Amino acid sequence: MNCIDAGGEYCPCHLAETLDCVLCSQLSGEKFCQCKNWCGVCIYDKYISNGSKAQNLRRTYTCTILKKKTPDKNLCILTLKAPEDLTRELVYPGSFVFLKNTENPVYYDVPISIMEADVIRNTLKIAIKLNGIKTKNLFSLNENDRISVRGPFFNGIMGLSNIYEAKNGTSLIIACGIGIAPSIPIMKKLHSNNNKIISFIDTQFKNNFSEKYLNDYSSKIVNCRILENGYLTENFKSILKDCLSGGNINLIHCGGPDILIYRIIQFADKSIALSCCNNSKMNCGEGICSSCTKHYKNDVVKRLCKVQMDSRELFKDRKFI
Amino acid sequence: MKVIVIGAGWSGCAAALVLGLGNVGGIMRNNGRYTAAEEITALGAGDLIGITDKLTRHKNLDFPNHAHAWLYDVNKIEPEVRKYILSKGIKINFESRVVDVKMDGSKIKGIYTSTGNYEEADVFVETTGSTGPMGNCIRYGNGCSMCVLRCPSFGPRVSISKCAGIDDLHGERTDGNYGAFSGSCKLAKETLDKELVNELEKKGVVVLKVPKEDVNLDKLKAKVCQQYALKEFAENIILLDTGHVKLMTSYYPLSKLRKIHGLENVKFIDPYSGGKGNSIRYLSVAPVSNDLKVVGLENLFCGGEKSGLFVGHTEAICTGSLAGHNAVRSALKFPTLVLPADTAVGDIISYANSRIKTPEGRKNRYTFAGAEYFNRMKEKGLYSIDTGRIRNRIKKLQLLGIFNKRLT
Repeated sequence: MNCIDAGGEYCPCHLAETLDCVLCSQLSGEKFCQCKNWCGVCIYDKYISNGSKAQNLRRTYTCTILKKKTPDKNLCILTLKAPEDLTRELVYPGSFVFLKNTENPVYYDVPISIMEADVIRNTLKIAIKLNGIKTKNLFSLNENDRISVRGPFFNGIMGLSNIYEAKNGTSLIIACGIGIAPSIPIMKKLHSNNNKIISFIDTQFKNNFSEKYLNDYSSKIVNCRILENGYLTENFKSILKDCLSGGNINLIHCGGPDILIYRIIQFADKSIALSCCNNSKMNCGEGICSSCTKHYKNDVVKRLCKVQMDSRELFKDRKFI
Repeated sequence: MKVIVIGAGWSGCAAALVLGLGNVGGIMRNNGRYTAAEEITALGAGDLIGITDKLTRHKNLDFPNHAHAWLYDVNKIEPEVRKYILSKGIKINFESRVVDVKMDGSKIKGIYTSTGNYEEADVFVETTGSTGPMGNCIRYGNGCSMCVLRCPSFGPRVSISKCAGIDDLHGERTDGNYGAFSGSCKLAKETLDKELVNELEKKGVVVLKVPKEDVNLDKLKAKVCQQYALKEFAENIILLDTGHVKLMTSYYPLSKLRKIHGLENVKFIDPYSGGKGNSIRYLSVAPVSNDLKVVGLENLFCGGEKSGLFVGHTEAICTGSLAGHNAVRSALKFPTLVLPADTAVGDIISYANSRIKTPEGRKNRYTFAGAEYFNRMKEKGLYSIDTGRIRNRIKKLQLLGIFNKRLT
């Protein structure tokens, strides 16, 4: 278990102030250090040096919508003009921001993954699936409208270290619907680390909004139905089995709903490294609102906006009721 | 049989038979440590004493309240010990930080490293010490002084016994605060006045007067090494030649140090911020029985500071040797060895072990070289610098070479 913000610009956060720090034993109520997950700097030192106060929360930026495309009635792709400092922070796999109409109160903030952060043009490309009140409000925005962007946030993917460690091999991307969007920065990273990428895609929308990226980074694309009634389809299982039996798969990334991630964890051999998208509901992203908290065995509570862990740990010992 | 030793200071090296803190020490055989060095050699674990003796720069040196000290060269010791350990067929995992354990009831099944590697063994020896890491040095000291532990680079110490569910004990200061400052610093020799260096290299020790306005007796209360927590050490600057220049004080503001003749251009070499503070120690002691097995666990033994409020390298070698020996005995299902109180090593272990259970005892440190325990050593007639007599004592107890006899 790790904290995505540990040691960075937003660390220590207010969790340190209430002795709830994810990593530091002293900042979670202990008298002494027991630093099992060293992040490279001492969080307690940062906290004391900062006058025993948390660092500032993320800023909210006002950006302009440069482009709006609606490839499906339930899907829109926005390109936003964003400040350089924000764009630069959002190029990594797992990056996301909170978006809302500038007119709306903060409760409308909805976490949306970054599909592409262009540091030359300073633009952010995002895909939004129509879901409820918040996303409906975003759909109503048009080109040249202003949009409120809060960020940067980083914990959109679980198992990030597995992505960075995958080099010179073959990696699999299994992605459904809107889960394809956050898979794109991962493909980019895997591609730059000299991996051959095989993508299993279940687009779920009328048009495949990610076709360009898939073609750019994948050496093989398999379009198929992946999940049916909560189970992997027989066809997909058979293709995946063949693919895995070839060996040398250094990573499976799973971009889709929790049930898909769960089924892939069950299906894949434990020796294969996994990563997956973080599907937790979030409101603040800063560990305060507790929307993303999940409860585990021995009364362990994890704030999934902060806690970075291996995909297999996500459901292990988790209390569902 | 597989034994994993976690930690590679003097105690870990002795148990495994690398070196971490040995690079900044240097003082051997002063006061009762002479007896202990000869005892441990007679017991059959004198390998490391042999190496420090071989690399000695100065022999039989006297400085305030300390007699017949030997100073080994801290710049030469580590490669020599490393070579020796490797020559014994011991596998060393460098830069491998153990951060957690897998338990099977009250037995440690395996250990996890910070990189996620998992390794199983029959028995484990923990010699991770009790110093730092940064958060502790901030909370109980003057902040990170960039000491030889290099926590930021290599990651902080994790208490393995605590991971296994056993709460640590802690040393205290007279003011009730936890821990204590490490007791000495190192100065870069080339930054001292040439004449002073010549004198130091010739005699091994130089004593300089501290300007009256800078004498700080309060600092002694916070010091680990109670054998050096004496008025003479506050009123004087005591320099020892260990290859670098060992400054016998926890820390000393650089601007004040440079007021002293011969030290006008002086620079700290360890800790780098020796003008501000030093590492904080005695924050993680495991409760052990006199065979150095952790109470409440079946297969974890401890040596060095982890096994009690011991100060010094000789003490680490002695406890590390016993912990390593008993780890093997335990894995073989043999009864473990408790050294009798007729030996200085056995006596310091049982004495420190009984004292740590008391509030007063937790405010003291235990060393052959001075303070409370050296007095006891003298009272009990254990102190001697007569090698033959010490060897005879061990022989009479039928313990001669016990540590280097094959157990199977």
